[in-house]
Amino acid sequence: MIETLQLGLANLLAPAVLFFALGFGAGWFRSDLTVPESAAKTLALVLMLAIGFKGGVEASKAGITTAFASAAGAGLLLSFGIPVLAYVILKAISRLDRTTAAATAAHYGSVSIVTFVAGTEFLRASGVPFGGYMVAVVALMETPAILSALFLAGSGASGRQGLRGDLIREVALNGSVVVLIGSFLIGALTGERGMEKLDVFVGPVFQGVLVLFLLDMGLVASRRLREARSLTPALIAFGLGMPLISCALSIGLGLVLGLAPGDAAVLAILAASASYIAVPAAMRIALPSADPGVYLTLSLAVTFPFNLLLGIPLYTAVTAAIIG
Amino acid sequence: MQTIRRKKLEIIVEAPVLRRVEAILGEAGVRGWTVLPNLEGAGSHGEWRAGDYAPGHEKRLILAIVAADVAEAVMARLATFFADYPGVVCSSDVDVIRGDRF
Repeated sequence: MIETLQLGLANLLAPAVLFFALGFGAGWFRSDLTVPESAAKTLALVLMLAIGFKGGVEASKAGITTAFASAAGAGLLLSFGIPVLAYVILKAISRLDRTTAAATAAHYGSVSIVTFVAGTEFLRASGVPFGGYMVAVVALMETPAILSALFLAGSGASGRQGLRGDLIREVALNGSVVVLIGSFLIGALTGERGMEKLDVFVGPVFQGVLVLFLLDMGLVASRRLREARSLTPALIAFGLGMPLISCALSIGLGLVLGLAPGDAAVLAILAASASYIAVPAAMRIALPSADPGVYLTLSLAVTFPFNLLLGIPLYTAVTAAIIG
Repeated sequence: MQTIRRKKLEIIVEAPVLRRVEAILGEAGVRGWTVLPNLEGAGSHGEWRAGDYAPGHEKRLILAIVAADVAEAVMARLATFFADYPGVVCSSDVDVIRGDRF
């Protein structure tokens, strides 16, 4: 218990979390602080490139093992399954229409890459080892949730209007996935030799980029929350409770599949995270009548801050207590 | 200077469906158009500002000069499309030089 509290406190005082809080406070009190849109996109690219590359180099050292196959299988299962559970819960506790409930459910089945980055940084700082291949698991978990949501919502507009190709392109070839998987493959191909060339970029520079990115995320999240009109107490409770349910499911699956403690912790963080980049864009094509005031506000302004501040150390501690 | 009466189409769409709308223009016989970014505005869901984080909501403005029959075909086709997707389409009379190009 004391160890959990220490972990939680250490997380709250990490620069990344404090910069997020700074951005959140600045946005909440209407400061004119902004990170220009093109700069934010560049920061996101650097983050994706660095974590993809680092994961690839680590995977090249360990090789592709059965542990990767287990983690990948568990990730796919969670991404397909969590939206179904999230949809049932949303329909039970709220008056959301079918389409908005399905779109929201998709966000919770898919993953947040920035939560993954913050989570793996926390695990590294806590001395919990995990497989570099987990980067590939992140990419695998982005899409299945979207398919589940389409199934839950019934026929979407994209099929009627000849937009299936655009939807597939948006989902499979969205910029963050391309850079993440591409960098992972380049890292796996070039290994330590490649790391020698990029170590400053992937190492020290990465930390600076991460805090700047989180500063922007804080600004964006608080502005979104200030303007939230569609959130009810029940929906906010969902945004805080669903990550805990997903984490519990993930730990159960990790136990059944015999995942290593570090991999299980990463998977729990991924399962608990909610997408706010790839899925919202896909939903504008697939389910345009769904209300982004609900799904984007919940995932970005409720679940993401919760995970960053409290969730990540909590999921790590619970995983360690059960699997570690 | 000789001018010819044509129709100007102004279409506002969200970025993820831009290509589909462009394809519809091509199918309806539009030979050329220009796409511009939309920076800020307001609509049924309130205001939207440059720099707001709303993936998939970025808007584009398509400008096209066409003959009247082509404008009618585009409007009919987009009426069906905008039953499902958010967007605006309007047509107005304009006088253009080099009218044979449109």
